[in-house]
Amino acid sequence: MCVNPSIDFILGCKSTYFLLHIIAIHISYLAFFSAFLSALLYLIQDNNLKNKKLNSMFSRLPDLSVLDRWNYISIGLGFPVLTLSIVGGLLWLKGIAGIYWVWNTRVIYSLVLWLLYAIILHVRLSAKMRGRKVAYLSILAFFIIVFSFFSACSSR
Amino acid sequence: MKLIVLGINHKTAPVEIREKLSFSANEVIRANRSLRDTLSLSECLILSTCNRVEIYVVARDDCAGGIKRFLSKLRNIEISEFEKRLYIYEDSDAVKHLFRVAAGLDSMVIGEMEILGQVKIAYQDASESKTLGKLLNRLFQKTFNAAKKIRTETLITRGSVSVSSVTVRLSEKILGHLADKKVLVIGAGTIGEQLLRYLKKNGVKIIVVANRTYEKALVLADRFGATAIKFDDFPQDLIDADIVISSTGAPHTIIHKDDVLRLMPKRHQRPLFFIDLAVPRDIEAEVNKIDNVYLYNIDDLQKIVDENLSLRKNELDSCNEIIESAALHFKNWLVKESFTPLEMRLSPTEGEIR
Repeated sequence: MCVNPSIDFILGCKSTYFLLHIIAIHISYLAFFSAFLSALLYLIQDNNLKNKKLNSMFSRLPDLSVLDRWNYISIGLGFPVLTLSIVGGLLWLKGIAGIYWVWNTRVIYSLVLWLLYAIILHVRLSAKMRGRKVAYLSILAFFIIVFSFFSACSSR
Repeated sequence: MKLIVLGINHKTAPVEIREKLSFSANEVIRANRSLRDTLSLSECLILSTCNRVEIYVVARDDCAGGIKRFLSKLRNIEISEFEKRLYIYEDSDAVKHLFRVAAGLDSMVIGEMEILGQVKIAYQDASESKTLGKLLNRLFQKTFNAAKKIRTETLITRGSVSVSSVTVRLSEKILGHLADKKVLVIGAGTIGEQLLRYLKKNGVKIIVVANRTYEKALVLADRFGATAIKFDDFPQDLIDADIVISSTGAPHTIIHKDDVLRLMPKRHQRPLFFIDLAVPRDIEAEVNKIDNVYLYNIDDLQKIVDENLSLRKNELDSCNEIIESAALHFKNWLVKESFTPLEMRLSPTEGEIR
């Protein structure tokens, strides 16, 4: 992890909000990783079915319906937890800096992530999209998480 | 003392002859006893399925002629009518033959599972007839073991090998459990019927049939507890169908990409599985390119069946290895026991005759 033991940081760590933020964000990333995994398997299985390649990989992978549900549940769980984490983060920011908002990469990434998962949930719930496209979006969103991790580390 | 098997199967005889020689389930026990008593055999067992009739006997001398006469008399058929169709194996060859049969290697669809159950029933019947002795008892136990081993250690039973089972497997891979899924059948031809029966066996409950001649749709619907609709009404049912089986005699495609594209929002993008059994095809090939829509035509399905069959055939060598080794074990047992079934099965009456 990218730990920078500045005074502020150590003070901040004692905050309940910070704790909430950190715990929640890890849980949500876990859920989004699960969504990413199911999306990846979905795309492989969908590709097998479309191209009529019924190899041993096809037999071993779960049904499309199972993968689709798995993805939906993962994001459905991850999104509220991500929201909680962002709220916790903002409250913590208010506690140490006195403001709710700063324009740094980390905050922007969080916002973009939150919007992206909100969009995925919306299109899925309103049945505007399903299957491949949702899978692509889940994978894209997870890449943004990975990206934000590295950029947060390098920006410190 | 000899172990002999005499039989006919789908490879050696047409159904007209097989059905003449076959035994129904309720006459096998009596036939076993009558065969043993007529030819004073030590042990015997009749295996009769729709694809084969085989008689396993343990006897002192060559009794093939006697069995032929027994069959001829019992079934009222000239020996010459079926003699050329018969195969006869003795001792080790008979053991290997039974192992092959029970594992489904001698079946029409290689590696099929049903035959093992039929062999088990034949064994139980013979057991009930009290026509089994130490040799056949042990032989059949070893047969069940070998068949199980082949099933678990090779890939001979892997993959679906009929168009119907491939389709059901695909349906499940796309849609999950089929119990709450709706099937729309377009065209009441006979091709779709077997598939429909198979889908129904796998849990499908809601079936709708559309046909140009409404009466034919009614007849088919009646047979499957389905609903018949007018042909022109089928697009309406596409909205909530999950599986569509099309087999009309139309000279051109009846379902086009644009129709399906317009349909998907109304379906809330739920997956849709098209099975096109018609030649010429009923459904535009481009339909497969739409998200959440999967199209398989009869050639696609047949190709998967052929691939699976050839995969099974690749496994034959490893199956034969298991059979050779199991047969060798059995032979060693026979030698070790210095098998003399006559003495073992000697009943008081037989003793007196001697």
